[in-house]
Amino acid sequence: MISPAGRPVRRIAARLAGAMALVLATTGCVGGAGTGSATGKVTSITVLDYYTQRSEHTQWNEVLTACGKTAGVTVEHTSVPPASLIPRVLRQASSRTLPDLLMLDNADLQQIAQTGALTPLDQYGIDTNGFAEGILSAGTYEGKVYGLAPYVSTVALFYSKDMLAEAGVAVPRTWDELKEAAAGLTRQGRYGMAVDASATFESSWQFLPFLWSNGGHEKRLDTPQAAQALQLWVDLVKNGSMSKSVLNWTQADVHDQFAAGRTAMMINGPWRIAALNNDRNMNWGVAPVPVPRVGQVPVTPLGGEVWTVPQSSSKDRQKKAAEVLACLNSAPNTLTLAEQHFTVPSRTAVAARYAEQDPTMAVFVKSVEGARVRTGELGVRWPKAATGIYTAIQSALTGEQTPEEALRHAQEIATSD
Amino acid sequence: MRKRSRLVTDRSLNFRTGTGRDDGGVDARARRAPRARFGLAQWMFVVPAGAYLLLFFGYPLVKNIAMSFQQYTTTTFYTGEAPFVGLQNYSKVLSANLFSQAVITTVLFTVGSICGQFVLGLAMALFFQHRFPLSRALRSLLLLPWLLPLVVSGTTWRWMLDPDTGVVNAALRGLHLSSSGVPWLTGTSQALVSVILINIWVGIPFNTAILYGGLLNIPTHLYEAAKLDGAGPVMSFRYVTWPLLRPVVSVVLVLGVVYTVKVLDIILVVTGGGPAGATETIATRAYELSFQQFEFGRGAVLSNVLIVFSLAFALLHLRASRRALTV
Amino acid sequence: MKPSPSRGRLSSTVVGIVLLALMLFPVYWMVNASLQPAGNLLGGDLFPLPPDVSGYVIALRDQGSNLLTSLVIALGSVALSLGLAAPAAYALAQFSLRGTNLVLLGVLITQMVPSIVVANALYSAYTDLGLLNSHVGLILADSTAGTPFAIIILHSFMRTIPREIIEAARVDGAGRVRVFRSMVLPLSSNALITAAVFTFLFTWSDFLFALTLTTTPTVQPITLGIYQYLGAHTEQWNAVMATTVMASVPAVLLLAVAQRHVTAGATSGAVRAG
Repeated sequence: MISPAGRPVRRIAARLAGAMALVLATTGCVGGAGTGSATGKVTSITVLDYYTQRSEHTQWNEVLTACGKTAGVTVEHTSVPPASLIPRVLRQASSRTLPDLLMLDNADLQQIAQTGALTPLDQYGIDTNGFAEGILSAGTYEGKVYGLAPYVSTVALFYSKDMLAEAGVAVPRTWDELKEAAAGLTRQGRYGMAVDASATFESSWQFLPFLWSNGGHEKRLDTPQAAQALQLWVDLVKNGSMSKSVLNWTQADVHDQFAAGRTAMMINGPWRIAALNNDRNMNWGVAPVPVPRVGQVPVTPLGGEVWTVPQSSSKDRQKKAAEVLACLNSAPNTLTLAEQHFTVPSRTAVAARYAEQDPTMAVFVKSVEGARVRTGELGVRWPKAATGIYTAIQSALTGEQTPEEALRHAQEIATSD
Repeated sequence: MRKRSRLVTDRSLNFRTGTGRDDGGVDARARRAPRARFGLAQWMFVVPAGAYLLLFFGYPLVKNIAMSFQQYTTTTFYTGEAPFVGLQNYSKVLSANLFSQAVITTVLFTVGSICGQFVLGLAMALFFQHRFPLSRALRSLLLLPWLLPLVVSGTTWRWMLDPDTGVVNAALRGLHLSSSGVPWLTGTSQALVSVILINIWVGIPFNTAILYGGLLNIPTHLYEAAKLDGAGPVMSFRYVTWPLLRPVVSVVLVLGVVYTVKVLDIILVVTGGGPAGATETIATRAYELSFQQFEFGRGAVLSNVLIVFSLAFALLHLRASRRALTV
Repeated sequence: MKPSPSRGRLSSTVVGIVLLALMLFPVYWMVNASLQPAGNLLGGDLFPLPPDVSGYVIALRDQGSNLLTSLVIALGSVALSLGLAAPAAYALAQFSLRGTNLVLLGVLITQMVPSIVVANALYSAYTDLGLLNSHVGLILADSTAGTPFAIIILHSFMRTIPREIIEAARVDGAGRVRVFRSMVLPLSSNALITAAVFTFLFTWSDFLFALTLTTTPTVQPITLGIYQYLGAHTEQWNAVMATTVMASVPAVLLLAVAQRHVTAGATSGAVRAG
């Protein structure tokens, strides 16, 4: 049992010592999250956004790098999945490890600004004139502008022209047509329709055009109008024209399903168009989100990500980040970025020129004009309502609760503290 | 083999006094003198580890209790203010539907996992009890699922169980067992079954290893005696194997419960607690409240529930293992 | 051992291989998926023919530094855990200190404490101490799994070292530290290796501390890397699976090289309560 074994132990000891040395060596970079000393010259800034999709990430990286260059800094650009951005930002805020430049979905800005984690942009002398009213109001908290978005967007119905033609189905304009078309397009290994019904804010965002176009309101979720909208989604899953997996799909997944030909239609945003255009086999079209009755105009949510300068210990870093932010939101760049992502420039003058230049984009410019700001009514309480909405979507689509029950519960969540 | 000797030595430790038989006097003398002089020096061996354990277990336990009486929100955390709110967190968390649902899910997850792991683990252990060519190699390869990081196993299973594109449903369709496929990750009850199955898969090797060790410690002459008395395999399991294995069984079960109750990785990776919160356990709720919603006070309440639960079982474990070693 | 007909034993081998194949199928499927070509959604062919390593190229580019981070943290945790545990286990096993049983009971109880409890409290403490997003912070937190385990393994082994040997060395004038270093540690090499192997695997597999005690990508263990990948790269399952394969390498290697110690650790897990 007991045997003298000096050699292996010495070997272990040597290995342990080696490991220790390695640890000590590497911990030299502890807390090295880009903490340039306050006095020294700022040579790089950190940037966080949720553009994880490869081509999107690359495009943003290029713009950020270019803007960094004009500000005289290099950019450390990180992207995390949309659903994990807010929890991460909250943790970074509490631990004072926020990036120098932070992107937020416009609906989350007020909540984050309320925590005191962001700095108002006026202190950097950034001019906020000329931006469309909707997106500017979304970027404002208690009278101060905290975030600016280069472009805005909203969701629409994407469809495969080939699949619709093959099935002899017209582009659906109403809910009834949508149900019929989706059923007609469903085949073995392919669904007719796809939405994001995940337990994240993304599904609340996708649900809003259905809720709002039917006269529902985020202030009061337990209404018949809301229940009818939710019932539409439930019906699509129940009759098999929408995969039950929508419960786990993010908008990126929905796009992947569409691109792979596994769904004939989907709800998504125009920022996917670049990726769709890369795929030569894809013959796709886009239409407004179907409405309850013929002739109605869909009410859609205003999308677009605002850029913010979080609090940090170094004023110099904040200043550099603000310079990059201003550059991203300059008139030429809003145009370039909007063109790249098939979205609408947030500066009204630029948007008007944009619509003149490219008539196909006029449709989008118009749809965005009517889009509603999610925080318009509820302000910092919107995330609660959004949580209630996606909870209701999940409960109803799994069949755990009827749409009415689920929305009653959603209203409780929205008004809880 | 190795483990048998370990068990034997462990048990013999209780009779350690036996070694002092012939040199008890020397022993006592030798020990008394140094203790007076080196008491402090001796403790220095323990102090670093003790300090570490106090800092990394003692402090968190106390801190969690304190936090459960404070109100943390996204705002107060940034400003560093967390006012005391008495029992408010407890009343809110414990009265919510989500809590009772999480308790039920936790119990189902734990009981389901333990039953599956134990029964299959015992079956494997009995199978490996008789040596056959390659049995040693197969037995050690069997440990692999248990050694893989849970995140890895979870990711792989999530990929395999995908209702539309996963291999499991493809196989079911191919064998004409299910035409539409099972909604492994999208049905509320199916998702719970899925995470239980995955956890069983992870736990089988551990159960097999321990129970196999227990089986090896049953003296073979007892089986031979039972055989001479005309006992078949069932009878000899019933009257020889099971009674002698019981102490090890109770250790396995209690340890299994304590480890399963706190499982987080698999659920977070495979289902994220969904769909519709169907796989949300106390542990995942605690994580979400604290680190997703930043309600550290309420998260701490659930953490405390977990601690009470685990410590209750820890006491059971201590009793069980003491019995296991003194049998 | 009972003499059994060799045909029966061979059929046992066949059954054993089938059982093992079933149990290890997910591992095969992981490797298979990692070698499939990139595509929007993998259909999932039975064999990766021809094997496509582009998933590995992407995974190494995106996750290579995370693998290194995990390695550093795991080795650091082994060093810290054994450094703390070995002397303590020795003292508890050999010194007949008063309160030994109480300490051992405490050590046992620590193993029951859910890590989410530790993470909850450490998060705010680490925030104040600046230990978030650091190797040291993760090593300290991850050692909460290894240290108690190592104490128990080493303690139960060191109890079997006859006290007379140690007393004899003491009579010869060796100091406690010297006896510990040049006698007890060498004698305990097997137990030390077992403890080291498991501490390494515990830390390598850690997910919760990685998830809760890091807020930026500067220090990101591989488990967290995989989790982030899952949400962000659905279009590249082959890269995700390639990462999981690479994250499995230590487990496979240790099982191959230190199989004896792995088995010992697995089983002593249950009887360590002694």
